[in-house]
Amino acid sequence: MSIVSKESIEVIAQSIGISNLSPDAALAFAPDVEYRMREIMQEAVKCMRHSRRTVLTVDDVDGALNLKNVEPIYGFASSGALQFKKAIGHKDLFYLDEKDVDIKDVIEAPLPKAPLDTAVHCHWLAIEGVQPAIPENAPVEVITAPRGKSQEQKDDGLPVDIRLPIRHVLSRELQLYFEKITELTMRSPDSVLFKEALVSLATDSGLHPLVPYFTCFVADEVSRGLSDLPLLLALLRVVRSLLHNPHINMEPYLHQLMPAVVTCLVAKRLGKRLADNHWELRDFAANLVSSICKRYGQVYSTLQSRLTRQLINAFLNPTHTLATHYGAVQGLAALGSNVVRLLILPNLEPYLQLLEPEMLLETQKNKIKRHEAWRVYGALLHASGQSLYDRFKILPPLPSLQPGAVWKTNARVITSLSKKRGAITEHLEQQSPLKKMAVDGPINAVSTNPSPTNGREEATALTPANDSDADATPSAAGKEPNDIDAGAGSGRVNGSIRSVNMSAMLQQIWKDDLNSGRLLVSLFERFGESLIPFIPSPELLVFL
Amino acid sequence: MDEEDIDKLVTAYLKKRGFKQAELVFQEELQQQQQQQQPPSKAGDRNRNSLADPEIAKLVHSFTDRSESCPVRYHDGYGKLRTWADSSLDLYKHELLRVLYPVFIHCFMDLIAQGHLQEARTFFNSFREDHVMMHSADLLKLEGVLSPSHLEEMEFAHYLRHTKANIKICKYSYELLLQYLHKTQSMTMLGIINERINFQVTPGQPMSISEDVGVETMFTIEDAANQASHKEIQWGLLEDSLEDRLEKAGNPHLESEKANGETKEGDLDDIKKRSGEGGKQSTSVKKSKKDKGAGAAGKNMRPEPNVVSVAPRVKPELALPVMSTEVEQSILEDLRNRVQLSSSALPSVSFYTFINTHNSLNCSSISQDGSLVAGGFSDSSLKVWDMAKLGQQSGTSMLQGENDTTNEQVVGPNGGRRSYTLFQGHSGPIHSATFSPLDDFILTSSADSTIRLWSTKLNANIVCYKGHNYPVWDVQFSPAGHYFASSSHDRTARLWSMDRIQPLRIMAGHLSDVDCVQWHPNCNYIATGSSDKTVRLWDVASGECVRIFIGHRSMILSLAMSPEGRYMASGDEDGTIMMWDVSSGRCITPLMGHTSCVWTLAYSCEGTLLASGSADCTVKLWDVTTSTKVPRTEEKSGNTSRLRSLKTLPTKSTPVYALQFSRRNLLFAAGALSKA
Repeated sequence: MSIVSKESIEVIAQSIGISNLSPDAALAFAPDVEYRMREIMQEAVKCMRHSRRTVLTVDDVDGALNLKNVEPIYGFASSGALQFKKAIGHKDLFYLDEKDVDIKDVIEAPLPKAPLDTAVHCHWLAIEGVQPAIPENAPVEVITAPRGKSQEQKDDGLPVDIRLPIRHVLSRELQLYFEKITELTMRSPDSVLFKEALVSLATDSGLHPLVPYFTCFVADEVSRGLSDLPLLLALLRVVRSLLHNPHINMEPYLHQLMPAVVTCLVAKRLGKRLADNHWELRDFAANLVSSICKRYGQVYSTLQSRLTRQLINAFLNPTHTLATHYGAVQGLAALGSNVVRLLILPNLEPYLQLLEPEMLLETQKNKIKRHEAWRVYGALLHASGQSLYDRFKILPPLPSLQPGAVWKTNARVITSLSKKRGAITEHLEQQSPLKKMAVDGPINAVSTNPSPTNGREEATALTPANDSDADATPSAAGKEPNDIDAGAGSGRVNGSIRSVNMSAMLQQIWKDDLNSGRLLVSLFERFGESLIPFIPSPELLVFL
Repeated sequence: MDEEDIDKLVTAYLKKRGFKQAELVFQEELQQQQQQQQPPSKAGDRNRNSLADPEIAKLVHSFTDRSESCPVRYHDGYGKLRTWADSSLDLYKHELLRVLYPVFIHCFMDLIAQGHLQEARTFFNSFREDHVMMHSADLLKLEGVLSPSHLEEMEFAHYLRHTKANIKICKYSYELLLQYLHKTQSMTMLGIINERINFQVTPGQPMSISEDVGVETMFTIEDAANQASHKEIQWGLLEDSLEDRLEKAGNPHLESEKANGETKEGDLDDIKKRSGEGGKQSTSVKKSKKDKGAGAAGKNMRPEPNVVSVAPRVKPELALPVMSTEVEQSILEDLRNRVQLSSSALPSVSFYTFINTHNSLNCSSISQDGSLVAGGFSDSSLKVWDMAKLGQQSGTSMLQGENDTTNEQVVGPNGGRRSYTLFQGHSGPIHSATFSPLDDFILTSSADSTIRLWSTKLNANIVCYKGHNYPVWDVQFSPAGHYFASSSHDRTARLWSMDRIQPLRIMAGHLSDVDCVQWHPNCNYIATGSSDKTVRLWDVASGECVRIFIGHRSMILSLAMSPEGRYMASGDEDGTIMMWDVSSGRCITPLMGHTSCVWTLAYSCEGTLLASGSADCTVKLWDVTTSTKVPRTEEKSGNTSRLRSLKTLPTKSTPVYALQFSRRNLLFAAGALSKA
């Protein structure tokens, strides 16, 4: 009936030495014990409120006992929460699990650190109703436009529009902050504290005065420490955090910062040994470059053009190392599929010819060199695959009837390419065949669209390559065409009705995507089957 | 129902109650009657009797039922009443629903009182959901009642059982209710409603739900409140305040000369002159009815900067200390340089953050000019920081020139080691600290049931005031200094003067702890907020309660009085702030917005803004002019122009413990940084 059970009362009685408490007495005690407990808690809550707290502590209960003239509970307070354990064999019976402590351990334990003394710190919470963006204030969700610079000056923050000749003073806190961050970056980039520091850099308001210092710091350290991979990574992470901070405008400092970042991307050599994993760093830098372009591309209009020029030069210069090429490709790929399509794809063929000898065991004996070449190849593959995928993604979603209509008209091509589909479906193991068809249908239909006009030869030429692939999984390849026929058969009835409208629409789409079709085919020639995963797998993500 | 059945029931009843003699007599009589009835024709007699039968039978039945299957009847009866009220007409529904709560708690307490503990618990649990929203605090208390003896012991329950709930209800709802109760023959419910509820039937339409603030008043001393509110309150400012002088003298030089030359006689002249001038106004204040008229005049004038001059003047009931001329001048200087605040001109807020407090900071207080900050700790120590000494230029550079005197480096006994002055003397956690108006004294109240007076000039304890029997929750200096008020767990508030170690007045009447206390600006009244969810206003001279403000739903934590003395704000545990009209005793409007305890409230110097600090780590600024002068037309159009929150200033992770507007309208706030 009450919260305190009869059994608890009996246990308490036993613990204070009353062994013969009758069950009736325990039953009668239980509600009264609960009432007293509630009474004490009510007083304890009052004590808590008058201590300006919202969390009840042991002290409050002591205070309440004191108010009720109850003898206080003696003994030492324990730091951790008390651990109650369930008594075996009883449903609602708990006891305190007390451990024996060796007094020697207590005596020999080192003295704990003395707690810091209380202090008072003063800052402006608001100036004429507006909260200044200083570290002491909670970060505001939306940065309001600075209202008059005189106010900004008062709270040691600088006007956002910074001009270097102005002499300005950094507050001591900011100086300490800067020192701490730089030290962490240099010494312990793996520590938890550094992660905290990065979060702070990414969220704190009021760091703006430090931005020029951080920019200089990063630029200096990058040029000095090209052989120290962890340091470079840490520096890039600092840059990324700064970029993420919504209260900081990095634009005026980009000209200083970009060389450092681009260096990390396309440097001839990063790290002490050739075998070092500098690829990760380059990938990171590539992402960073793209995020910079995304955020400041609007304001700093020449940023992207300058960057791409720099990267394409690095890519096309055969005297550079393969690692540089890799970085350039990754950088260009991160800038988006359009960049890849316009700059990489036209140069793909000559470059691959150049790359091929490096990749083969016969022509390139150096293992590391070969590895690098494969890396570049992988990057190229990824870039062009991604661009291809993006190209397809922007197409309007095709009506589901369309496959039927297309297949009906272009039966020959379909049969040839349906085998290719078989190869594709290998990568879609989770999906049921029919669903796969629905997913893949539009893509393949589009890619086949140009075939009747001019891609037919290429398409047929492809078949042998695909056949060899399909041989590996004859069952999958063999099954697919049947499914398609079934699907097409069902679609045919409706398809014939709507085909008039549909065909007009399709005409338009075909025209638009003649180029994409050509692109796909030409890429296929370059990369062969290894390109295939790029086509459906992102698509898969979209549909999942 | 036969006559014989009734007879049987009666005998059964008599047997059960143990009335043996009566039973015997009754049976004898029965037998006699039967013998007598044998000879004459039975038919006619029977018929005559059976005419009256049904009514009696029902009554008898209800009695027997009541005594036998009680618990079930309560449960069923209440359940039916509830479904009936729920399905009643929308227009009257809320009135009928309000009846449920008193019925509910009385059903519960009746069950307990009759010893049906198990049933009481089931009853409570099955219906508590309905009332949790409105009465969670009461339910928590009642939940603990587990035996008949607790009912007597627990004051709240005891109180409930000995008072009637007051419910205002419109005539039609009342009739509906009665009709229902009679039709369904639920005698238990009827009994409870008759016994426990005092209906105030009003003719006409039911009142709207929004007016329904009175729900909470059901179980409080409304009679007393009504009685109290008939007493008049002179909420005006003191005659001849410094503000007045500033108003009078446009020319500061003239003013200072005048201030210099002024003596007591001059003051008296002033008073006479004023009473001659504004005699009508001051007399009109005497009656609260007319008071509204005067207030209305004041309302229209409010936007003008010289608001203060509109408020009526009253004479002080206490002998107030005389200020030295230098101090007076510096204050006048401040008043002249005061920033005018309004909804479009918000104040600057300087925030004092206590760091490394280890959860031990219980209260803090800021001096008038913001140069001193005091913190009371749970380890019984009081620490005072001189902000000028900390070298925090931002905090003091904008402050008054009077700081210059305190700017001297007062080197404490510990040399330069500590950044603060440590005051030790209490033997229990300090719950409140307050600066005297001139910043030369600090008062602290502690859980050791004493109040101590400290001098900031001597850095020493001067007096220990003993009088309370339990922890003293709050202490406040009067606006004029010298006097101070304290409130305690012993349910009293006390009035003290600095030169006596015994209290001058004891204000008793609250039903639970007195949690906070605040002076009226004219020093004639003291407001106290209590755990019984009421705010009371006490006359300082007589020590009587003159107003009871009812409406809060939980313990009251903070109070503030508007500078012209007409309005009062109170903040509670749930984060609700209520604005009250002092003279009428009515709530103007609740201010909702805080999500946790409102620790502190402060009015700006001209009374246009209210600042509130809360445990939810925000300072909120409220526009209080809009609410206090809502023109009729706007009132009709809706609640849009009611009190509104102007600005929320979040701190990083610092609950706000104290707020203080300086005389120049700079807002100071203090709080302890607490890690999330």
